[in-house]
Amino acid sequence: MSVSKLHKAAWGFLALAALCLPNDAHAQVREVVSKEVAVGRSEATLRLEFADLERLEIRFSGGQVVVDGEVLGSYQPGGDLDAAWRALLGEAVALDDGPLSEMLADWTVPAELAGDPAGVAHEIDDALERALRETEPSVGDRVSVSVEDPGSLVETLLGSVSRLGLIEEALAGLDQAIMVHVGEDVVVPAGTVTEGTLVVIEGTVRIEGEVEGDVVVVSGALDLRDGGRVDGEVRLADARILRNEGSVRGGLVDVREDERAFESALRDSLRGEIEREVRDNLRNELRQLGRGEDDGLSIMAPFRPVARAVGGIFEKLVTILFLALLGAAALAFAGDNLDVIAETARRSPRRSAMVGFAGTILLLPVWILGAVALAVSIIFIPVAIAWLPLFPLAACLAALVGYLAVARNAGEWLADSNYPWTGWIRKSNGLIAMVGGLVGLMSAFIAAHVLSVAPVLRLFSGLLVFAGTVITIVAIQVGFGAVLLTRAGRRREQWSAYDPDAAWEAAMSSDVDIDDAMDPSPRQGGGSRPSRESDTEAGESKEGGDDA
Amino acid sequence: MRRIFLAAALAALATPAPVLGQSWRTVTMSRQLQGHDQLRVAVEYGAGRLTVRPLDGGLLYRMNLRYDEDSFEPVAELSGDRLHLGVESVRRGINLRGRESGELDLELARGVPMDLDLEFGAVRADIDLGGLALTDLDLSTGASESVIDVSEPNTSRMETASFDVGAAQFTMRHLGNLNAERIEVDAGVGALTLWLDGRWQRDANLAVDMGLGSLELRVPEGLGIRLRKDSFLTALDSEGLVKRGDVYESLDWDDADRRVTIDLDAAFGSVAVVWVR
Repeated sequence: MSVSKLHKAAWGFLALAALCLPNDAHAQVREVVSKEVAVGRSEATLRLEFADLERLEIRFSGGQVVVDGEVLGSYQPGGDLDAAWRALLGEAVALDDGPLSEMLADWTVPAELAGDPAGVAHEIDDALERALRETEPSVGDRVSVSVEDPGSLVETLLGSVSRLGLIEEALAGLDQAIMVHVGEDVVVPAGTVTEGTLVVIEGTVRIEGEVEGDVVVVSGALDLRDGGRVDGEVRLADARILRNEGSVRGGLVDVREDERAFESALRDSLRGEIEREVRDNLRNELRQLGRGEDDGLSIMAPFRPVARAVGGIFEKLVTILFLALLGAAALAFAGDNLDVIAETARRSPRRSAMVGFAGTILLLPVWILGAVALAVSIIFIPVAIAWLPLFPLAACLAALVGYLAVARNAGEWLADSNYPWTGWIRKSNGLIAMVGGLVGLMSAFIAAHVLSVAPVLRLFSGLLVFAGTVITIVAIQVGFGAVLLTRAGRRREQWSAYDPDAAWEAAMSSDVDIDDAMDPSPRQGGGSRPSRESDTEAGESKEGGDDA
Repeated sequence: MRRIFLAAALAALATPAPVLGQSWRTVTMSRQLQGHDQLRVAVEYGAGRLTVRPLDGGLLYRMNLRYDEDSFEPVAELSGDRLHLGVESVRRGINLRGRESGELDLELARGVPMDLDLEFGAVRADIDLGGLALTDLDLSTGASESVIDVSEPNTSRMETASFDVGAAQFTMRHLGNLNAERIEVDAGVGALTLWLDGRWQRDANLAVDMGLGSLELRVPEGLGIRLRKDSFLTALDSEGLVKRGDVYESLDWDDADRRVTIDLDAAFGSVAVVWVR
């Protein structure tokens, strides 16, 4: 049982004991230990907590006035009642404890309120009064306590901690006149009517007559005889039933039933977990037995390398397919950029690789320094927060696009080659060229998987894996460098003055003197190396062949 | 600050009609002192402005909070000796709709012995722990601009005060008033300024672990300091210190009434010792 429960039970019981004493009713302001005033666009709420842990909540929200969860009435947002309530909260903000209690208790309905709002305001006033004016009722006529042995009350209070919680649970919600019997047996004789709630603690209650109220038995026994009748509930807390021959209109409640249900559910849950664990362990053991992992013998053993190789090849093919899909997307949405990157990688592979290598080394420092530079000023901190994940993401994207561009170049190269299995690669289709290149770049890995079928070729398989890894790293470096050089394909690299398209246009538009063209005599300065322009001119002539 | 907050609260109170696009809520919470012997106080705040100050009178705490009710909800829970204050997020993600930020103005009772755990994210924090009876202090912040002051001596003795700073401009004043035997500062990146002034009631140890950034130690004349440095690519401006073996010591180290040993572990950045009168 929690400490707060214990406190509550003790307070409840002590209050119960105190009720035995004749008291004059008097009122005083209750101590407010906690206050919360919440004001928002559509809500204005006051929450108070008192020293006895009771609470009061009055909430104006969504057009409704709610007190302790019950709708008291309605209000017009922005109307007089709303304004009056907010004004009250405005005063409450600055006050605490006694002054706060007095101010709230003294609050009266504003004179300008009329009609329904005034009615709701009166109810709020009443709720505040009830909660804040601590009235100790004279309850000699409401509660009677009968104790056979005065010591038994103390024993009940102090003898068992759990009993206090039990009593609290059993008495929860009872608000009628209560007759409490501690440590004694009670008899409701036949033909008699007892009004109010009958509470028997550590005793037996025998009911032969009628009880117009509830019967609560704590740590005792119920003997409901034939003809006995209870109009309300019968609550049994750690109590047993001797006879149940009469009638109970409100039903029979075992306040420990919830706990027992919880324990039962917990037990079921634990049992289920244990069963699952045992079943899983058994299944794993059987699986291991089937695999022959214990003794290394299995009928599947010879096929395992084949299965592994097929799995590896399949994995590579899926990777190629996935990369091809990304490549298709790149071609569709950034085809021109990919062209520029691929062209740069093809024309300047060494330069691209160097730039890619340098870029790779600088990635981490740039990332950290960028984050620091942005984080130093609080204004840029949100940018720094975005920088931290986005920069690595952009770098990965650049490497991927670069790799795809290099794959396309590789595919085009394979298409030009005379290898028999490259006939399906077409340079005219960028995607097919890229797929061909991907297959080519990963061919070492695929070959390694094929060789891994034979354990004696494991060394060659390892070498092929190494070769494939080197090829992949070089391709990524070249591609990444090309991406950096071309600013993600937005800036075309300048290689030389020669532009085939421009040269073709110039050749088509120029007038050629047939005679000069056919003249076999050497040109002026013939024999010496032609100038750059001469190179270009030679290149312009497609038929020139050699220079081109 | 409190006046501004109160004015904002009163303005909200005086404006019952809803304003379109506004979802700000103002909450004032307080709780009476009820003979608390020792408390464990946890304060959590995500983003906005944070103020913490000591509180006089019979209250345990008073909290004024302005927050976006669509994203957060206030927390003020006292359970046994645990007090949890601040806001909790009720929606995932960051609300980027508005540039207006929330505010938390928190006052904590003087004289109540407490283990204080402050955790805040991207905030501008102005925290004064002066006069509180701190028996333990843990402060953790993400990306913030924070000024932590201990304007009056701590009335309780503290074994360790820990500060975990992410990326921040972080200033701490009157560290001597913390009355701590050991002060640990773990900083990620940013600018860190530590004022070693205040009333040192005993010799103490200050451990600073800094990733990347600048550290400025402002040391009052008369306080003896010994600096042990374990750093990588970190520049040290050790004005007023003499090197003896592996450590740097202030000139009056042997004669100083109070001595602070500083263990510095830094990766990249700069460290400067500035003497103040």
